[in-house]
Amino acid sequence: MSIRFQLLVIALTTLVLPWAGCQYARELETTLRVSQENSLQAAADTIANALSAQAPRVFGDSDDSQAFDPSQGDLYVYSLHNEPLLDGYREDWGIAAEPQELPSSGLGARILAAATERHLFLYLEVDDSHFTPEPSDAHPEKDQFDRVDLMLQRLDGTLNPLFLATGAPGLIEAQSTVKSDDGVDHAAPEPRIQAFWLQTSRGYRLEARIPRNMLGSRVWLEAIDGTGLGRAGFIGADALRGGRLFMATPGLSDLLGTFIGPDTRATVVDMNSLKLGVAGSLTINKDEDLRAAGGWYRRFVAGDTSHWPLQSSAPNRLSGKSVAEALSGHRSAQWLRAGPSQASLLSAAAPIVIAGRTHGAVVLEQSGDQLLELRDRALTHLFNLTLLATALAVAIAFGVSTWISLRIGNLRLAADTAVTNDGQIRLDMPESRRGDEIGALARGFERLLSRLNEHTQYLRTLGGKLSHELRTPLTIVRSSLDNLESEGIRADQQGYVTRAREGVLRLQSILSALGAASRVEESIKQAERVRFDLKDLLQSAVAGYRDGFPRARIDVQTPPDPCFMHGAPDLILQLLDKLIENAVDFCSPAGTILVRLTRAGAGYELAVINDGPPIPPNVLSRLFESLFEHRQGQDDRPHFGLGLYIVRLVAEFHGGAAIAENRADSPGAVFVVSFPLI
Amino acid sequence: MWAIGYDPAMRKQIAIVEDEPALRENYAAALARQGYQVKTYGNRKSAMQAFDAHLPDLAIIDISLEDEAEGGFDLCRELRALSAEIPIIFLTARDSELDAVSGLRLGADDFLTKDVSLPHLGARVAALFRRIDALRRPDNASQIVRRGPLSIDGDKMQTSWNGAPVTLSLTEFWIVHALARNPGHVKNRQQLMDAANVVLDDNTITSHVKRVRRKFQQIDPGFDAIQTVYGMGYRWVE
Repeated sequence: MSIRFQLLVIALTTLVLPWAGCQYARELETTLRVSQENSLQAAADTIANALSAQAPRVFGDSDDSQAFDPSQGDLYVYSLHNEPLLDGYREDWGIAAEPQELPSSGLGARILAAATERHLFLYLEVDDSHFTPEPSDAHPEKDQFDRVDLMLQRLDGTLNPLFLATGAPGLIEAQSTVKSDDGVDHAAPEPRIQAFWLQTSRGYRLEARIPRNMLGSRVWLEAIDGTGLGRAGFIGADALRGGRLFMATPGLSDLLGTFIGPDTRATVVDMNSLKLGVAGSLTINKDEDLRAAGGWYRRFVAGDTSHWPLQSSAPNRLSGKSVAEALSGHRSAQWLRAGPSQASLLSAAAPIVIAGRTHGAVVLEQSGDQLLELRDRALTHLFNLTLLATALAVAIAFGVSTWISLRIGNLRLAADTAVTNDGQIRLDMPESRRGDEIGALARGFERLLSRLNEHTQYLRTLGGKLSHELRTPLTIVRSSLDNLESEGIRADQQGYVTRAREGVLRLQSILSALGAASRVEESIKQAERVRFDLKDLLQSAVAGYRDGFPRARIDVQTPPDPCFMHGAPDLILQLLDKLIENAVDFCSPAGTILVRLTRAGAGYELAVINDGPPIPPNVLSRLFESLFEHRQGQDDRPHFGLGLYIVRLVAEFHGGAAIAENRADSPGAVFVVSFPLI
Repeated sequence: MWAIGYDPAMRKQIAIVEDEPALRENYAAALARQGYQVKTYGNRKSAMQAFDAHLPDLAIIDISLEDEAEGGFDLCRELRALSAEIPIIFLTARDSELDAVSGLRLGADDFLTKDVSLPHLGARVAALFRRIDALRRPDNASQIVRRGPLSIDGDKMQTSWNGAPVTLSLTEFWIVHALARNPGHVKNRQQLMDAANVVLDDNTITSHVKRVRRKFQQIDPGFDAIQTVYGMGYRWVE
């Protein structure tokens, strides 16, 4: 793993910052929710207490002793702020609720009730596609026509049967059935109750207005089809069952409005969870708004709200745990989902207790999204900052690591090439002036190299020194032997002296080989350049080698014309000595050594080719180094890895170079020395 | 001890100045065996004191003497100041010093590396004495070899080129002598070494030949009578 990658990974750990931010935001959200819960609950408690002190203004005089039962014809009456026009349309009522289905036998009908302080409004939709008009001078008890029967309970509890029917759609009045003296029934108008009959494609609609002073707490109603005799609704003769009107308490909404702040909705429900009064409004964001405002990372931070119950959307009643708890006498708060989205709603309910009995509850609702917005704003900020910080950290880490990698790369390259192929050691390292660890490493390298250099220098001069220092003792031994022989020794002692001489000679040749490189270096310093014929030198030298190495076959190839060059022929001769010695050592017994001189560009190329074993490739480039010895064979003469080094020294003195390679065509090695013309 | 048969009273006196006692004693023993009277000195100071009192007939001087790296050169200069004729042989431990000796023109008659064998040393000493004797005798031209502008007096070991004397050391003289006696014949290094009564490595022969050429070229810049036959040796061309 590269340093760059490692640092990048380290830099990426700064991503833990946004994560920690998320955790913090979640906790913050929880805390905020709890505090919102507490404050809303406290507000609900306060309102409940306040309301319990003025019970009549809250509950009016409705009788809640029986549970609200739509199937028995119980009606919830919404409260209206303004008197709507009687026109068969309910759009001007401003009530979101859909009409409630009436119990039906063969006729579909739906009803919606609402009231102002003075009137009760009824809105009825009847699915009766065939209009059967009321005949003029009808006999209501016998004639069949489309009609809606109404049974009103008067304030004194007596019943007032009425019906709504018409010969032609439009504004109509209610009618009652009266019996004339002859027992024939007639319809008599009841002008205080007006309605508008609107014929539609599906049937008809009826919008009726009944003064509140004609009305007790119950109304029964039944739509009757004039042709099919289908019915919908009830006409209850029983004054104790069904038909009750559950009205919102007039003025309660305004009263509630004085208690609440903005963005809060207060609802008072009775024991049936029916709304008695509502004040305030909620602003619940649409899902899209939230996403746009909160950013994509909302999904990473938002608490899981999917287990929250959905907000009930019934327009006339509230449901849910908090309401149920409150109605059973316990204050309670609950979080709800306002829809399928993230939008949340807090509902806090407090029981309204009057004289030790729970009469209803105050429910305060508040959007949870204010919280979310608060959280999101903080979080967006946090996210942006930490992402910026991360990006910055990654960029810096990348930059620093690239820089460090480059420096280390430089150092590595310098270390790789510190010891050159010709055995020279470069002592200066890049980066060594820096004060940091890489600088220290570079300085360490420098120290190492300088020691290596000293060591190498020592080794390089060791041969020369040894051959010089050993010369005097060797001379002592030899001159002593000379003396010994001159003094006259016995014949049986002569053998020892002869052997001692042989040893001395061998020692001398060893010392000579050991000091060869330093002698060549010495003579290179003093060498004089002359113009000479390289071809001539080669030919006469090879003739000499044939005498010197009678067992080797040495061929020579040269260009036909003289090859003049400027150089030191003695040195070239030594170079040739070494190459030929080397070739003779490695050449196979019946092999041929080829000395080939060719013109190469502006200079010459001298190749000595043998057919010995190939040279291992890893050794090829090092052959010409000082003190490099690679020999598999064993022979008597000592080898110090100086022969080919001398070849290189001489080649370089002439501005050329020496290389070794294996033959491509057959086994064997080629040593090529180039001499550019200088 | 009396092998050569010199009269003891007439025995030639040789001074050896050499700081290495073992070598000094070996040289002394060998020369004494040949009938010479040998005095040995370990350093320049003691040698010079003795020379001031009494000059030897021949001096063999090591170049580096104890702590004086070139004490031999100084000694040679001082000795030469005392006598222009006394033969002086330099002994060197290093090949490179040969060049220094020739460059300094200290008037040494010969210089040898310490590789020289004792019989060779004896031959040289004898040759130098012979030359002294020849110089003291009246001229007889019987030993003179002439090769074009070159003339060599084998007895006096003197060489001249176009009549101008060439001052060669004993080794150099013998090399030239060996080459010029048979012009056109290639003498290999071994033959030259044998002729010069010396055991040297190839490089030293090369540098001797180089120096000989240089000495002739100082008289005649066009001198090229000594030709290198690469890989074989040298020959004299007329």
